Amino acid sequence: MSGIHAMLVHFPIAFWALASLMIIVGALMQGHWAQLAKAGLLPVLILGLLGGIAGMVSGWLVWPADANLYSPLTRNHLLMSFWAFGIYAVVTALVWRYRDLVFEGAFRWAMLVLALMGGLFFAISGTLGGHLAGSPTPFSDLLGAGGWTVYETFYVPDWVLVVILILAVASAVAGFTAKTRS
Amino acid sequence: MFLPRIGLILGSLLIAWVLMWFTQGTGVVQDDPERNIAIPDELTMPLKIQVAYNDEKIFFRYRWPAEAAYVYHDMLRYEGGQWVRYGSPPIGRDPNNTYEDRVTMLVDDGKVPEFARYGGYITVGANPRYFTDTAAASEVRQHPHLGEKLGASDVRKYLPQTRMDIADWRGVKDEETLQQQREAGYFLDLWHWRAGRSNAIAASDDQLIAEHRLGDSGRGPYTTNWDSENNQPAWMFDSEQVGIDALNWDDIQANRFDFDGLYYLAESFAKPFDPDHEWQEGDVIPRRMLREPSGSRGAISVAGGPARWQEGYWDVTLQRALDTGYPLDDKMFKTQGEYTLGIAVHRDSTGSRWHYVSHPYQLGLSREDTEVTAHHFNGEQPDWSDDWTEMTLFYPGQVNWPLLVSDAHAGAPDIEAGKPVKPRHSEKQLAIYGVEIQFNDEIISQWCKTLVLGLFLMLGIWFGLDRLLQVYVVRKTQGGA
Repeated sequence: MSGIHAMLVHFPIAFWALASLMIIVGALMQGHWAQLAKAGLLPVLILGLLGGIAGMVSGWLVWPADANLYSPLTRNHLLMSFWAFGIYAVVTALVWRYRDLVFEGAFRWAMLVLALMGGLFFAISGTLGGHLAGSPTPFSDLLGAGGWTVYETFYVPDWVLVVILILAVASAVAGFTAKTRS
Repeated sequence: MFLPRIGLILGSLLIAWVLMWFTQGTGVVQDDPERNIAIPDELTMPLKIQVAYNDEKIFFRYRWPAEAAYVYHDMLRYEGGQWVRYGSPPIGRDPNNTYEDRVTMLVDDGKVPEFARYGGYITVGANPRYFTDTAAASEVRQHPHLGEKLGASDVRKYLPQTRMDIADWRGVKDEETLQQQREAGYFLDLWHWRAGRSNAIAASDDQLIAEHRLGDSGRGPYTTNWDSENNQPAWMFDSEQVGIDALNWDDIQANRFDFDGLYYLAESFAKPFDPDHEWQEGDVIPRRMLREPSGSRGAISVAGGPARWQEGYWDVTLQRALDTGYPLDDKMFKTQGEYTLGIAVHRDSTGSRWHYVSHPYQLGLSREDTEVTAHHFNGEQPDWSDDWTEMTLFYPGQVNWPLLVSDAHAGAPDIEAGKPVKPRHSEKQLAIYGVEIQFNDEIISQWCKTLVLGLFLMLGIWFGLDRLLQVYVVRKTQGGA
């Protein structure tokens, strides 16, 4: 299953990388390339999500469930994979419902930040996957230089979890309190 | 009206990420003596080694950094009319400076093949001493082989094939099989130098790992100085020979000693304890008395006299006959032979499992294709060049062999396939894993919460942006966006 997983995860990586590039082009450029990027974004995102599901399911089957949870490196790989999937799920849902409108006004900056965050998460997840397969990359050292040794499980203390909860609610409230009439 | 709200949403995402990045890994890992957990300040340390041999002996020279030397070990302090013991194996660092520095080396000649691939991990079985799930002393004492025959009260290192079930320390194979294993060479030679219990008389202990950590045959370099019948030391300093009756507790507390002075009690200058002597508060008598070792157990000695710590480094050279004549206790060295070494260091006044260990290293005698080469020389003592082999030792935490070959270890199939650990795991990685495994349940729980809350934040962001876009669409339709 390890080989199949390694093969399958290239699909979401490729689609999400392409989607992030298209979002950057769509958000920052105008003209033909921007239109092309916006027009092709949704199918790329959908394919990315489908690839993500295939990658995660096949990844879960590589080792016994206990082994997935006992290894700090695997835990980190799982966490970053889920977060990458979560971010691109948000982007996909927004593009699905609002199409080109997500690139209008200040929304373009939201798309840009989400795309970059998603890119960061799948880059980390990918390098951890390589690590698990026995091929570490210098990107792990870069993360280490930034303060996170990838062999240490990525978890945060309870007070930070509370802050995240508050920020999540605040984000939702920021939208729900907007009125249709100014 | 959209920009501030989008700014708030994106700000939430960025603040959360920055906060998580700078607080990750905190809040769980901490010392917990009740669970036998103490985390050393440094998880790895360097060690340098040189090996040489002549026609008779082999010499191992070890050099490692240590902020201070700890040579006092296991002391009896006179307080309130009683002799009180200081120096039981501590959890982590001994605050009283009564635990010695050590260097130990496991040696194999290929008869324990897993050792060449996984080093000392194979010797850490189920429920060993000072693990959180350590076996109860009462149960070990009642064990027919370990307790009743060997006199053990805790589970120490043992080799996997000495057990019927690798995950059960109780299932020791029958005596005949153990004897056959020993005769077939299925044991690890253990060189065991102690700064307090052997070095002062230029000796080293010589032990082995089989179904337990065993002493070689013969007499060891120390004995216990305690008269349990009368609750007092059995021996004291002979002041007519050395000018003192006892050591001083203040010196031990300050870790003050002189390598040329007395910080130990030895048979050659001890006399039977005199309870009528006017003992003073704070007088100290070592609970271990050094003595000349003999037989197989006395085969290893310190070359050139007692080793010294100076300028921040221990420099220890041990010597032993290439062939000791005790094939059931020792691994013999031969020119062109290849051997596996696993080296460990105790420093900073720590004992038991609070050591730094090495990966397995291959040693060759006059061979250049091994990681460590022992060069032949003529004469009595090697003329050491500056040709060191450098190693990184790491704190192994509470990882044992039953765990490594279980479903909980992703590398278990690799172990089964015979793939070695060294290309796969760095010392730093193993040290971190060794720490985290001690908090596995707590970390998994916190990791799960972090994962879910991260997704919850994304959900909140999606709700917020979706609603803002809804409003945007309505206003745009109304011509007001």
